Amino acid sequence: MSTKQSSKKFKWALDFNTSKNGDMTSPLGYNPAALVNQTDAAGRDQRLVIKKSWDLALGPLKNIPMNLFIMYMSGNSISIFPIMMVGMMLIRPIKAMFTTQVTSKMAEGAQGTGQRIVYFLGNLANVALALYKCHSMGLLPTHASDWLAFVEPQTRLEHYGGGVSFI
Amino acid sequence: MLEKKFGAGPWFAVLLMVGACSALYEDQIKKFDWRAENVGKLQQSVVDLNHFQPRILLSTEEGVVASVNVKTGELVWRQVLEQKPRGAIKLLQVSGFSDESSDTAAAPIGSNLGFDMLTVQGHAPALVRGWNSNLGAIEWEWSTMPLNTERAQEALWFYSHSVLYHVVPTWRSHLEVTAYFASSGHSTGSSSKVIASWITAESCLLSGSYYVCVDGKQLISIDLASKSGQVIRTALESQPFGKLTALAGLNGVVIANGKLISVNKDQSVCNSLQSSSYAVGSFNYRKIVVYADLASNNLKINAMYLDNCSPVVELEQNVPFPEHFGTPQLNSFDCMHRKNGDGKGCLFLFSTSAESIVAVQQGRIRWSREESLANVIDSLFVDLPLADSEGTLESEMKGKAGDFTSFDRDIASAFLRRITTQAVQIRSLFLHVIGLGPPPTATQRAGLVRDSFGLHKMLVLLTQAGKIFGVDNISGKHHWQLYLPNVNGFDNAENMRLIVQRSAKHFPLQPLCTILAKDADNGYGVLYRFNPITGLASEGGLLHLDYKIKQLSLLKETEKDFVRGVLLLDASNEVHVYPPHATPLADGLYLYTADVKTAELSGYFVKYAGGKLSSTQIWNARLGGHNSEQQIIGVAAKNPIEHVHSQGRVLGDRSVLYKYINPNLVAFVTQAPDATHKSLLNLYLVDVVSGSVIFTMTHRKVRAPLSIVHSENWLAYSYFNEKVRRTEITTIELYEGKTQANSSVWSSLQAPPMPLVERQSYIIPTLVEVLRETITERGITNKHVLIGTASGSIVEMPWHLLDPRRPIASTTQGREEGAIPYIPELPLPTESHINYNQTVARLRNIYTAPSGLESTCLVVATGLDLFVTRVAPSKTFDLLKEDFDYILISIVLVALTSGSLIVKHLASRKLLKQAWK
Repeated sequence: MSTKQSSKKFKWALDFNTSKNGDMTSPLGYNPAALVNQTDAAGRDQRLVIKKSWDLALGPLKNIPMNLFIMYMSGNSISIFPIMMVGMMLIRPIKAMFTTQVTSKMAEGAQGTGQRIVYFLGNLANVALALYKCHSMGLLPTHASDWLAFVEPQTRLEHYGGGVSFI
Repeated sequence: MLEKKFGAGPWFAVLLMVGACSALYEDQIKKFDWRAENVGKLQQSVVDLNHFQPRILLSTEEGVVASVNVKTGELVWRQVLEQKPRGAIKLLQVSGFSDESSDTAAAPIGSNLGFDMLTVQGHAPALVRGWNSNLGAIEWEWSTMPLNTERAQEALWFYSHSVLYHVVPTWRSHLEVTAYFASSGHSTGSSSKVIASWITAESCLLSGSYYVCVDGKQLISIDLASKSGQVIRTALESQPFGKLTALAGLNGVVIANGKLISVNKDQSVCNSLQSSSYAVGSFNYRKIVVYADLASNNLKINAMYLDNCSPVVELEQNVPFPEHFGTPQLNSFDCMHRKNGDGKGCLFLFSTSAESIVAVQQGRIRWSREESLANVIDSLFVDLPLADSEGTLESEMKGKAGDFTSFDRDIASAFLRRITTQAVQIRSLFLHVIGLGPPPTATQRAGLVRDSFGLHKMLVLLTQAGKIFGVDNISGKHHWQLYLPNVNGFDNAENMRLIVQRSAKHFPLQPLCTILAKDADNGYGVLYRFNPITGLASEGGLLHLDYKIKQLSLLKETEKDFVRGVLLLDASNEVHVYPPHATPLADGLYLYTADVKTAELSGYFVKYAGGKLSSTQIWNARLGGHNSEQQIIGVAAKNPIEHVHSQGRVLGDRSVLYKYINPNLVAFVTQAPDATHKSLLNLYLVDVVSGSVIFTMTHRKVRAPLSIVHSENWLAYSYFNEKVRRTEITTIELYEGKTQANSSVWSSLQAPPMPLVERQSYIIPTLVEVLRETITERGITNKHVLIGTASGSIVEMPWHLLDPRRPIASTTQGREEGAIPYIPELPLPTESHINYNQTVARLRNIYTAPSGLESTCLVVATGLDLFVTRVAPSKTFDLLKEDFDYILISIVLVALTSGSLIVKHLASRKLLKQAWK
């Protein structure tokens, strides 16, 4: 590779050693005057980041109508597809909640805490929705009958014996 | 009894993998079940050892005619006739028998002039049947209806010279003798009335054609076959004690005080003989009388020529006679006609007091049949003992179960104990392999070791005759038998009781069973304690009490020796406990007694104070009705070992209807005649601790036969509906409601709420003999009701078909609850007959017991036959299917594991290669 470089030296060589002062020359096409509006551009980026991260934070909330529609369409019967959907609906927001830290790393800023809360609440709303669906499908142990297997038999206080008289 | 071996040895492994289905597959026939056929107590028998077709024909007290194989004692054929009194056999006559009264040759084919075998049974009408004794088929039949049915109950029959004589005595007045041609039933026209004012029921009998009565120190007899009707008086040496008996085969010979007495001038007998049983036959073409006596477990058989009263030396023999057969009575015998005439071809048939049939030949017992098993009155399944090595493990587990805290604290020593136990096990296994181990115990040698599923148990059967059997429930082998002479069942048709005082769970203590009975002589109570595995008496065996037993109850286990004491209430309401050291446990027990005739219930409270037990009557209930006509015809309590797993029932809206599970609830059924409704049937559910009547119901125009089963929170009973003439089953379920009043404790004295009652009636298109519920270890498995029918089949009826909550209209709620819409007729599909074609003749009772598997329930049906099987009401959910493919699943497992390993290796190699690209 070095031989290649050395062979190309003649054509495009830019000799920095010719300059007497220690400063490096600006790269080609670099205009120091273009730095005038720098602070302004940074402000715009920041706004963009905030906007983007609000988008991210509000995402779960925006999903709710869609989820409601899916829920309505899938019905209350217990079969593989509604179960899969409800499962996804339940697992996705929970997963998202656990990764809030990672997600919010990408959008750290002035409104970080608010976004995090909104994001968390949105996911919570989704979980609630999924739980409601589970409930309406009858998958939650909310009835007395669901705990019937754990009801202990009554202990008897009195014992008896006897039968038809043998005399 | 015949031993039936169906599934021994290698079959057993297969047996355990059983996947029972609702019906059996063809190849499962007789795999989990066996049937033993009995005939009942021997009444009359004919041994016929002719050369071309040796046979034994017999009639029994159960109304059975059968033919038995001479060599093995197996049944050749058996005909179960009508129930008593219609089927009671009065006479069995075989033609060609060496009896001078019979001169009819075997029936020529196609003619109805003669007969092969003839029976007379019943009295109104009396049925006379001619049989083909080779096939057991009826060839002809005629009947006669007596004018006076009541008097005809005492009627006697005898056969002489092709004529059947019907003798109807009118006590203290006369005898009516009617003669019929045996095979046609035509009257010979000679119906005569013999005036005999001395005849009484106790003193008279028929011996051949002679009607013999005792009158003080003389015998008064009349020859009914002769025209003259002359009265013959014979003087006796002393007044006979006990009843006279006739000697079959000799006309006009009776046995009085163990001596032969002839009232027939033409018949001479050897007067010097003294014996307990006689039989007449021929030996080497000479008439002989054989007599047999039991002396110190040795049966002495002797014989004498009738013509000159000289002993027949060839037939003298001594037979060791096991005690469990009881006292033998020579019933009949026959000798094969041999050239040398050594007497070795003689077969003696004995009936014994333990209702066995014993055949003796050549000085030893050739075979025996245990006919007491035709009257089983109680049965128990007892766990078999553990193998020794498992026993030590068991004791470790027991320490854990008994005391949790000390076990936790002492974990190091427990670990040490486990290690040493297992080391001992390995050592014993090693010793066993090289052949140096300890010799197996007697029970282990007999294969009586508990299996891992608890399906192999000892079936203890108690019979009416007082004989007890230990039967292998898998092979049907009789491991031991015991005979309790001189005991009876109790009054009020209450049978002897068989109870377990200590189960087999308490290794190394041996299990203990007890029989409670009544002494035949004085009516006092008798207790017999024995080990149900070995059949040997334990704890002193027989115990005669000095009081009458009125009722009994089992107590809790003692902590010392794990014996459950028996509490006995005597006639004067005193309380006794056996063994005495369990007395303190009787404190606080409630007892009740029911008087069937007056329908009166009494409740007692047992108190232990100052080292003494006392009972106080605390309540009293009269179910007799306003005119005290009602009588108790059925009492049903719950099985005391029952566990109820589910405390409620889930309704359609997913709420719970809690069951009313009152452990102290007993159902009583009373019946009384009624002026307007013919007969009334009342059902009472009584809490026998507090004496409160929880529920009552009345059925009109309904009568017995009644069968009743009571379990968990439900009750089912069958009865005959006279109005529509069919058998119906009524079911009742009790519920507490949507909430439980007290979820932790049940006390009958704290006024628990009255239950909600659901009820429904169903029609069953058969006659129900017995109802029984299945029972399992923890009560998780569904309950089915086993219905024993009069035709001898056992139908397994799921409870959801009998469910009183079956909705009349098909509502969504009912459907969501899982209840089938109500249809009055109960289906009896052939798949649910658990005994398929193994009909249990005269089915009388069904007993159920849990096995070690939650899914499986052991069943024994008793009647004339014995049928043992197992049922799995919720299918065998805890067992692999019988056709489970072990090879396929292991191949798949191995292939998948090795495949994934190989693929993993290949994948890593591929990744490495890709990284180098």
